[in-house]
Amino acid sequence: MAPTLTEQILDRAPDAVVSMDQGGRVTYWNPRAEEVFGVRCEDALGRTVAELIIPDRHRAAHIAGLERFLADGTGPLLQRRLEIEALRADGAEFPVELTVSAVRDGDGWNFHAFVVDLSARKETEQQRDLLVEELRVALEGSERRFETVVGSFSDPVTIRDRQDRIVYANRAALETLGFDSLEQLRSTPPGDIMADYVVSGEDGRPIAMEDIPSVRIHRGLQAEPLLIRTIHRQTGAQRWQLLKSAPLLTSAGEIEVTITVIENVTEQKRAERQNVFLAQVSAELASSLDYEQTLRKVAQLAVPDVVDWCAVDLLDEDGDRRPVAVAHADPKRLKLAEELRNYEQTRLNPNEGIGLVFRTGRPVLYPRIPDEMLVRTASDERHLELLREVGLRSAAVVPMSAGNRILGAMTLVNAESGRVLDDFDLKLAQQVADRAAVAIENARLYSERSSIAHTLQQSLLPEQLPQIPGFELASVYIPAFESTEVGGDFYDVWELEDGWMLIIGDVTGKGIEAAALTSLVRHTMRAASEFESSPAALLARVDGILKKQRARSICTALCMRLFEDRALLAAGGHPLPLRVSSRGVTRVGDHGPLLGGFSDVNWQDTTVELEPDSILVAYTDGVTDAIGADGTRYGLQRLCDTLAQFRGRSATEVIEGLTVALGEFQIGSHADDTAALVLRRRGPWNPERDQQDASEAENLAVTE
Amino acid sequence: MVRPTKFEIREHATEPALKLSVTGELDMNTVELLARHVERSLADGPRALRLDLAELGFMDSSGLRFLIDLYDRSRREDWELSIVRPHDEAATMVLRATGADTALPFEPDGSS
Repeated sequence: MAPTLTEQILDRAPDAVVSMDQGGRVTYWNPRAEEVFGVRCEDALGRTVAELIIPDRHRAAHIAGLERFLADGTGPLLQRRLEIEALRADGAEFPVELTVSAVRDGDGWNFHAFVVDLSARKETEQQRDLLVEELRVALEGSERRFETVVGSFSDPVTIRDRQDRIVYANRAALETLGFDSLEQLRSTPPGDIMADYVVSGEDGRPIAMEDIPSVRIHRGLQAEPLLIRTIHRQTGAQRWQLLKSAPLLTSAGEIEVTITVIENVTEQKRAERQNVFLAQVSAELASSLDYEQTLRKVAQLAVPDVVDWCAVDLLDEDGDRRPVAVAHADPKRLKLAEELRNYEQTRLNPNEGIGLVFRTGRPVLYPRIPDEMLVRTASDERHLELLREVGLRSAAVVPMSAGNRILGAMTLVNAESGRVLDDFDLKLAQQVADRAAVAIENARLYSERSSIAHTLQQSLLPEQLPQIPGFELASVYIPAFESTEVGGDFYDVWELEDGWMLIIGDVTGKGIEAAALTSLVRHTMRAASEFESSPAALLARVDGILKKQRARSICTALCMRLFEDRALLAAGGHPLPLRVSSRGVTRVGDHGPLLGGFSDVNWQDTTVELEPDSILVAYTDGVTDAIGADGTRYGLQRLCDTLAQFRGRSATEVIEGLTVALGEFQIGSHADDTAALVLRRRGPWNPERDQQDASEAENLAVTE
Repeated sequence: MVRPTKFEIREHATEPALKLSVTGELDMNTVELLARHVERSLADGPRALRLDLAELGFMDSSGLRFLIDLYDRSRREDWELSIVRPHDEAATMVLRATGADTALPFEPDGSS
């Protein structure tokens, strides 16, 4: 699968993206990474992440972490945002935010790191610290002066007393907290304010009053800046806020109040999460051609970070909806969805939800789903009960389409988190759906091509080998591992008035052209064999026909005319067959030029005696050209050695033995098509006859 | 496909003929490299080309097909192609088994 989809996105990512293999070596380095680390992509590739961007003191931990992940699959860094120092090419260290994801790639792992340069943000934070410091000084003067400084400050600022009550909020803070006046805020108990929101941390865990930095300071605890996500229970509006608090001490050194500056980082956080999410989705989609499995993983990636529920449905050829994925972070709630989807499947309303999207191809957004809507949608009591139990709050459905064709739809639902889906979510969902659609289309095209190739290939080989009286016949055909192409190897066996014809050959090239050529060669031979009894003459016919083709058409072929106890054979640029008999393995026949390639050429017939129990093995160069683990080719000598072990065995045993030997020799899959045809003359050994022929035999002890 | 094949093309500008020396294995993985190199060399208009295969370690049917096509092209475009025979036994074998050793413009032994 081409990595272009992922790389296209990553090349344009606003964050630095660095990928490494499981040896810790850089395999991808996007343009932004070049800027951030001051190292060019071509200089980074192949070097280790440890030496490039990790400061000395973190290096050991990085390597240990990687080893641990490979050993037991646990990784404390994975999918978490981490602030850490990184190393630039000039040796300077700078703060970064890091998110690492691991993606399986065959037997190994790939790691993708998203790196945000925090230098600029850190500077702003330092300025904000200075401001808090100034505020502290200001407060030591008059409250009026404080209001002058803070009142018009654009970031929300609050002051909390020892009873956890908010005693001061500037205008921005009042607005953020949803109060009209300071008096109104002051008269509201602090727990009530918090209760209006679902508050969670970066990792999704709930945040309680005791976790708020200003409250911690009053308890005498450390208070690091805290990033929280708030969702207003009433409106569903969500915000990301960074809370930074500092104590204001009395002259006696006691904590009087705490001052908190709230930074709204919603846009920034959502954009960051979107980038990380999209990159993960793209990597997932590019990782496999099994798109149903992949879509399930994509749905799983979306929960609960992006959305509470994510479902994917495909639209099949008959216009029916086929659910392929539904994901929720809590497996118990998934049961609800399963039951619910049974209802929806039977009644797909063309004016609502998925039905509407399938019909129009346009996304739909239901920012808020009131109970009336559930009542209207429900088909019976149980259905309504289920809908209420899920707690549908907000939903969006986006189409997955290729051109004008709608392939399916992706549904996002927010429920218990109370988040409201907005245009931002809709855009994100559409981006995911678009990528998914490309992946589905690619996979479908690929499988279509594969199946066409397979069908075509089948039509080029005999469906079944015929039974030849007095002989046994067996064959093997192993297509090259890229199965979407039709290969160039072929063989055929047919009966003539006074015997049988066996051919094996190899057209150079692949694909439809090769298939057409194979077909031409086979049919020419079959037709010509009706009136041309000599294999050499048959080859000459095919040669003539190939030379008349518009496109360059060359092929190798071995043609064998089989009689009761001997074969007449001619080779056109094809490896000569091997005869396995009591005298060992010998190569038989004479070389002739390949077909369609040269002018002024001719072929010779050679008679080969086939004593009882002897075996004739014809093969294509895929056998001898097979590459082993040490880089050498299988070669003629190994083939002869292997065949020698199968002397006196059945044709099927020889084919099986050869296939196993090749499989053991090769690394990976077959690079080229491989075909072999084995013919054995039945009957007992005839030692006398063997003795007689021994003198003529050409023993193949060394490679030519 | 699975392993990188050792393959190298060196270019010697020996007037009037351009000489390309090929070492390593000429197979379905590397033939495209050679084809592109030859294409670039011939871009300025046909000239004499000397293809030195003496150090070739292996050649399969796709390599052979390339040679046949190139020879055809040289005759069509009327420029001279000459090929130095490979020393390697297996590569020689392919040339002999296909009749290419007599049909293609190989230089007589010892002339390189």
